[in-house]
Amino acid sequence: MAQPDPSLRDMTNAKPKAEGKSDDDEAPDGGWGWVLVGALFVSTSLVFGLMRSLGIFFVEFVQYFEESAQAISWISSTGLAAQQFFSPLGTALCNAYDTRVVVMTGGCLAGLGFILASQATSLVHLYLTMGVISGLGWGLVFTPMVATVMAHFTRRRTLVLGVGFSSIGLSSFAFNPLFQLLVETYAWRGALLILGALSLNIVACGALIRPRRRSKAPAKVDSERRSSCAATLRRVSSYLELSLLVDRPYVVYTLAVTLLNVGYFVPYFHLVAHSRQAGFSEYQAAFVMSAAGATDILGRIVSGWFSDLGHFRLIHLLTVWTTLAGLFIMLLPVSSLSGSYAALMAISLLYGFCSGALTSLVFAVVPMIVGVERMMGALGLLQLIESSGGLLGTPLSGLLKDVTGNYTASFVVAGGFVVLGTLTMTTLPHYFSCKELPPPQRRSLGNKDKGLDPELEQMHRSPTDTSCRGVNEVCSNLKECEGDNWVTITCWKNAKDME
Amino acid sequence: MAASWKRLLFHILLLLVSCRHINTKTPGPTPPPLVPISSLPTDERSVSLKGESHTENVELLNPVNLALQCTWTGNQNKLPNITGFWRKDGDEVENSRVTVQLEGDEYELKRVFSIVSEESLGSYSCVFGSEAKIEFVLAAPQIGEVRDKPIVSYVGDSVVIACKMEETKPKPGSWNWYKANGTDKEQIFVVAEPLRYEIKNEERKTKLVVHNLTEADGGLYYCGAVYAISTTMGHVELKVISFQEPLKPFIAIVIEVIVLVAAILLYEKSQSKKNYTEGNGATDQMNTMTQGENNGPEGSSSTRQRKI
Repeated sequence: MAQPDPSLRDMTNAKPKAEGKSDDDEAPDGGWGWVLVGALFVSTSLVFGLMRSLGIFFVEFVQYFEESAQAISWISSTGLAAQQFFSPLGTALCNAYDTRVVVMTGGCLAGLGFILASQATSLVHLYLTMGVISGLGWGLVFTPMVATVMAHFTRRRTLVLGVGFSSIGLSSFAFNPLFQLLVETYAWRGALLILGALSLNIVACGALIRPRRRSKAPAKVDSERRSSCAATLRRVSSYLELSLLVDRPYVVYTLAVTLLNVGYFVPYFHLVAHSRQAGFSEYQAAFVMSAAGATDILGRIVSGWFSDLGHFRLIHLLTVWTTLAGLFIMLLPVSSLSGSYAALMAISLLYGFCSGALTSLVFAVVPMIVGVERMMGALGLLQLIESSGGLLGTPLSGLLKDVTGNYTASFVVAGGFVVLGTLTMTTLPHYFSCKELPPPQRRSLGNKDKGLDPELEQMHRSPTDTSCRGVNEVCSNLKECEGDNWVTITCWKNAKDME
Repeated sequence: MAASWKRLLFHILLLLVSCRHINTKTPGPTPPPLVPISSLPTDERSVSLKGESHTENVELLNPVNLALQCTWTGNQNKLPNITGFWRKDGDEVENSRVTVQLEGDEYELKRVFSIVSEESLGSYSCVFGSEAKIEFVLAAPQIGEVRDKPIVSYVGDSVVIACKMEETKPKPGSWNWYKANGTDKEQIFVVAEPLRYEIKNEERKTKLVVHNLTEADGGLYYCGAVYAISTTMGHVELKVISFQEPLKPFIAIVIEVIVLVAAILLYEKSQSKKNYTEGNGATDQMNTMTQGENNGPEGSSSTRQRKI
């Protein structure tokens, strides 16, 4: 039993040490989590903040390529779709290899996409470079960075997510005039070239991620026993966390977020047009949008801070924010119908705050449902599946507007989808319990949400091997195999004996 | 011989005398000798003035006989007679000074002008005494949306310069493009250099495409909307820069990224070396401890939350 002993000692050492620490982050040298938050801030602004400010280039593209505005707008749609589509790929690669390498590669790809776009001679070039290549790069960057930061924090998780995502709104304030200046000085080709260089800063952000030995690495050893084809497939599915697709809580949550996404983006697309239709001037309509954006940033940070105070369960707070956001979306057309600018402004501010507030929480709830170990893959899959909601929502709202003639139906339906998502969330298991449940620590092979001790899982993790299952069966027979430390050590010892 | 010389001198003198009369600049509109006045269509503009002055913009497309009518309600002391006259571009129109009677509490001035060419356009004012003035600004439709920032493009690239006449204004007959050459404007003819220039005309829009740019192509370009009465100009500035220009900030940023990444990696290496020298098994212990700590506090934090 020479092997277990050092780990045993470490475990007993680790536990009191962990409880003695501030528990703000689990990084070995403490405080490094905050450096990663800075990296998340910069990289998120270079991904989404950049994406939002690309509108300035579109005017130039329309003139240069002599294409319609709709054809040009496909560029950013392709970019966003690629980012969401390649998210699971990014997280799977992080599970298989080092996160740092994946993020740095993503940064290089994002920069390369823009650099190549500066040489474009046709619209298709732009779709391929700014859309696909940069989108692939962004997919390899965003979700892994979010997952890495979340893994470094427990108590301040929502706050750091809020701070990280607030960069989107803040950076678009800075990027809009900057891009305008770049386009005026260097024309769109030179501006895209410089943007490519700016995007390369994501590589520096990625370099800040400390390399970690991934717990899935030992799994490779076990699979040599079997035929390589099946084993590879199993390994790939474990990296992609495809087993989550049969995990009921995760599926329910993903469905809820997808429904949320159907309605979430509608105000961003249609609020300005709706305000104009209600009779307000261009300036007033744009100001409403900017004000909503400002409260969005505020909402992200405030909700993050408040959630981490621990007074309420994250899932409950998320429900509150989504319900409010859905209600305010439905109230938006009502307020402007009355013709009062103040009412429209008030509802838009409230909507902005709620939508920002829920953004911080949407990701933070995921490790509560699937556990920190599977969070990386879970986030990737979530991004992919929720993108379908966004793809459905915008054309649907446009269609409703074309059919009815005004935006009332679009907003009401959008708000309805958001509220529907909230209702779906209430069907999560243990939703109505007041206390936060411990997140599942391992793959749920049975019907338990609560799992075994994580150290146990660490040693025996592998996609399908019987040794894991064997351990579970042994432990599930023992009543004390939950919670307490020394009992699980007993379990683990027995499993080792089994080998 | 002397008689023929005398006759020649007499003819020359006669010519000079008549020339002096011809050369005198008349402030009023001079119809070109070929177009008889009566064949032009007629139009009328009238303005009623209540205050001291007023400006009215008149948009004209074709040559026309324009009747301008000014009505003034007068001031406090309504004199029975007042002197009124017409001005064009600041100069008084000859023989336009008349005495205006007060009729029905108003003064009225009316005159017909022949607007046939670009010279006829301008500012026409009717003046009542020294107090009231109504100005009519006659012009062809102006190009409203003028891009004030220069268009930037690269050497060897091609550029599209566009001009647009608003929907609310009448459409021009055709478009012309000019390039500024010093103080002159040189018209651009596609036929002369078909490989370099391309002009695409639609009714209200025109586009000039310049291929294979060189530095010399930079400068002011004028688009002219041709109407029967005159051509209105809009201008756009083109700047041609070489590809070295954006390359400088690009390389600067790339160097900054490389330096940052190198610094981060070196810092990490020095940190790990420091930790390694602290003890042989220290790194291994750190690794297992990190893994343990990664998930350990998970359990303890949930316990903590339960207590709360």
